[in-house]
Amino acid sequence: MLRFFLTRVATAIPTLFVIIALSFFLMRLAPGGPFDSARTLDPSIAENLRHIYKLDRPLLEQFFYYLRSLADGDLGPSLHWRDFTVNELFATALPISVTLGAKAMLTAILAGTALGLFGAMSKGWMGQRLIDGASIVGIAVPVFVVAPLLQLGFGLALHVLPVGGWDDGAWQNQVLPVATLALPQIAIIARLMQAALNDTLGKPHMRTLRAFGMPAYHIYIHALRAALPPVVSYLGLAAANVLTGSVIVETIFGIPGMGRYFVYGALGRDYTLVMGTVIVVAAAVLLFNLIVDLVLAWLDPRVRYEAGL
Amino acid sequence: MDKSRSEAPPSFAAVSPRNWPLQVSLSILAAIALLCLLGPLVSGHSYDQVYRDYVLVRPSLSAHPDAAEVDSAIASIARRIRVQITASGEGETMRMILHAEKPIDPRTLRTFERSDLFLPARIAATGDEGRELAIDVPLQRTVFLFGTDANGRDLFTRVLIAGRISLAVGLLASFVALTIGVTYGAIAGYAGGRVDALMMRAVEIVYALPFIFFVIVLVMVFGRHFVLIFAAIGAVEWLDMARIVRGQTLSIKQRDFVAAAEALGATPGAILWRHVIPNTSGPIIAYLTVLVPRVILLESFVSFLGLGVQEPLTSWGVLVADGARNIQGSIHLLIFPALFLGVTLAALQTLGDGFQRARGAGGR
Repeated sequence: MLRFFLTRVATAIPTLFVIIALSFFLMRLAPGGPFDSARTLDPSIAENLRHIYKLDRPLLEQFFYYLRSLADGDLGPSLHWRDFTVNELFATALPISVTLGAKAMLTAILAGTALGLFGAMSKGWMGQRLIDGASIVGIAVPVFVVAPLLQLGFGLALHVLPVGGWDDGAWQNQVLPVATLALPQIAIIARLMQAALNDTLGKPHMRTLRAFGMPAYHIYIHALRAALPPVVSYLGLAAANVLTGSVIVETIFGIPGMGRYFVYGALGRDYTLVMGTVIVVAAAVLLFNLIVDLVLAWLDPRVRYEAGL
Repeated sequence: MDKSRSEAPPSFAAVSPRNWPLQVSLSILAAIALLCLLGPLVSGHSYDQVYRDYVLVRPSLSAHPDAAEVDSAIASIARRIRVQITASGEGETMRMILHAEKPIDPRTLRTFERSDLFLPARIAATGDEGRELAIDVPLQRTVFLFGTDANGRDLFTRVLIAGRISLAVGLLASFVALTIGVTYGAIAGYAGGRVDALMMRAVEIVYALPFIFFVIVLVMVFGRHFVLIFAAIGAVEWLDMARIVRGQTLSIKQRDFVAAAEALGATPGAILWRHVIPNTSGPIIAYLTVLVPRVILLESFVSFLGLGVQEPLTSWGVLVADGARNIQGSIHLLIFPALFLGVTLAALQTLGDGFQRARGAGGR
């Protein structure tokens, strides 16, 4: 298990390095800088600014400088919010986004599994069509349509939940964002779960269990374990999707998380902030994929075997 | 001969009368595409024409202006040109009597033209030394099927124009992804060995990442130009295509006709172009039906954030963002673009599902 873990970590680190390099050089290719505004700055002031932010050094030197400060865990100063470093901005934003993302993933896994189980158990036409329909709706109605509709329904029409804001993480403020993030993932997980369960239930060892007269719940517990790998391996992608969705959700619901800083940064050409977000997001996705791989290896002995353990 | 042709597009066989979801979604897509292509020509409005007198009008089938709108418009014109107006007459032309303290300058009648409700006024009679004018004012009939937006632009036309952009981006970006993916995958698969391993390792590395962030970074770096949007989207969405084509190429290059071509001295480029790539077309077409909705969604996502298509041009994402901002009071601004986007995505999704199912095992 340790060797498996180490190989995965060993592939994740160069990936992260490539991402950092890619985003760094892309940003520096960009025409127009962070100090371009409608009012042209005095040349000497502009020169000073460029000097302070080390923008006047050769590109490679800037890159190594950036890498060195990254190694210290320093993402640099924000170019737009000049009184803050990116680290300071993320210190408040990251916990909020992590809370939202984790809750959304948990909701998606639980609800998706339950729905998929329901679909597989109700043998007939209804269950299948319900899951099919739900998953098409879940995919076809994008996050940025679901969010305003939920705001309209629960916020403006029923007055039961606030339409936006964070309010230090009061639960009322979390319900709609979490639901918005989770809904499409619920649809996909339910579909995957149902397909995997149907697949497993037709296998000979399941027939054997049934022939032995095992109670239904016993059979389904066995089937669930065998049906988990395809669902678990989707979770890596689901995490990436939730992170992507959180950009939209945080913008619409006015939540001061990473996604909103990313949009502000992109609109305001705040290089360091955008790079910081990309790096944090990429690291999060890589970390999550690592966990998914470990869970898969734990669930399925064949994965461990193929990895040479 | 038959063996070598077994890779011909199997997907079209799926469009049989028995496969009704596929038929329905194909018809819906054709209808939407046709509507987006031809609709703006017959809607009677330009997508960027502003009707200042019709801001946030609700959707309706009947023509504007209605009686209340006419009354308030007449009142406001009377105030502007400082006359008293008594209006009468029903139907297409209204007879109005203008009355003022001083003689009325006929040039002030241009105010009627400038309004979006009336056509140019004609003087029917003059009286009381020019202090009283009788004029005929034809009504300008306009229909706003989906209502208007906050700037007074016809939403129906805008939704269709947005559809053109969204569909165009969907197809063009898919084409970019297709070109990159097919080239990359075919080269990797045909070269094999260490080159293949290295190229596929690179794909795997990028595969795990959330693409949106890279699209946004690309758009942010290179500007928000229309062409760049689909170039950026295409540049991140080619990975699956490369994998599929590589897998196909690996099996195709074992075939006898490739060996024959090699024996005849064909260059690797010619073999790829003439023999390998045409034989991968089946899975490529099947995967395109999955790719196009993904690309459309991605474009609307980027546009929603204000980083994509810019005003006055528009796409479904821009319109949905607009609708989300005006959600209190003017729900039609959200509903119509969302409906078009959703139906298109659902139809494409069903189409893709149908093709995948017809192909048997899934695309990956």
